[in-house]
Amino acid sequence: MGGTDKTLTGGCQCGAVRYRMRGEAMYPHLCHCRMCQKASGNFFLPLIGASRKEFEWTRGEPSWFHSSDPVRRGFCSCCGTPLAFETVGSGHISITHGSLDDVSAVTPVEQSGVEGRVPFYSELFALSETRSNRDDLPGGLEDVASTNRQHPDHDTDRWPARDR
Amino acid sequence: MAKVHTGGCQCGAVRFRIEGPLGEASICHCRMCQKAFGSLYAPLVGVPDAAKLTWTRGRQKHFQSSNHAARGFCADCGTPLTYEAPDGIALAIGALDDPKAAPPVIQFGVEAKLPFTDRMAEIPERVTEDDMEAAPFLATLVSFQHPDHDTDTWPPVEPGANDT
Repeated sequence: MGGTDKTLTGGCQCGAVRYRMRGEAMYPHLCHCRMCQKASGNFFLPLIGASRKEFEWTRGEPSWFHSSDPVRRGFCSCCGTPLAFETVGSGHISITHGSLDDVSAVTPVEQSGVEGRVPFYSELFALSETRSNRDDLPGGLEDVASTNRQHPDHDTDRWPARDR
Repeated sequence: MAKVHTGGCQCGAVRFRIEGPLGEASICHCRMCQKAFGSLYAPLVGVPDAAKLTWTRGRQKHFQSSNHAARGFCADCGTPLTYEAPDGIALAIGALDDPKAAPPVIQFGVEAKLPFTDRMAEIPERVTEDDMEAAPFLATLVSFQHPDHDTDTWPPVEPGANDT
């Protein structure tokens, strides 16, 4: 059902916080509720569950915002990437799908909280498409690619990278 | 009177206001936007006249994701708020108090679009009430999320006090 049993790694955009999960990727889904929307500045928050026993923060730790008493949301305090959703006392943690290094390794199986879904959601998939293009910059897209400060999509031995 | 749009982060420490029309709304699938938002893509709306954008409470913190672009977020709760580049500033649509006001009209960065993204309107759906049995705490949940309108005081005197 869209899940996997292999080891999955991920982290924030800058790389200060990294994680690893093993075992089943549980209930990968998109949550459209207004709390998930505002927490992530997005139309929905895509989440993947993991057993807390098979999950670890391998570099740094997220900061947490208690969006209600039972629930807290983890993010990187250096770059802001939304990373986790946790029900306090639960044996599980949910991580944000887009923070995975290999995002296509897991496929969402359900939409939850659809009472909050934006009315144009289903129309987004039919919009005209363009590839990345930064012709407005002197060196084009290469200006971004050659100075990209995003952490690579795999674990690294040291952080921050010394050559940046 | 010109149309006014307001928004901010989940906790309410950072609030903004735009007077006049919003610019082009889009979703960007590029890997930088995916990881920065922890999601399948980033929904962004341009601000045609930066002078019409006012930070009415607090300020966003920045992560310089490349030499040309910075991404703003709330340092207290992590909500992604902005994408700031030489050609202007764009706001995270989900951080608007009324995200419906900015329906996207184009998709960018589709070279990185995930293989399942276009099917995400077809997967099964459920409303939050359906989860009450599995997660009974939902029935008594008190949200600490800032309401979807400006408020006179922050932080709130007590949880939920700003909700009306």
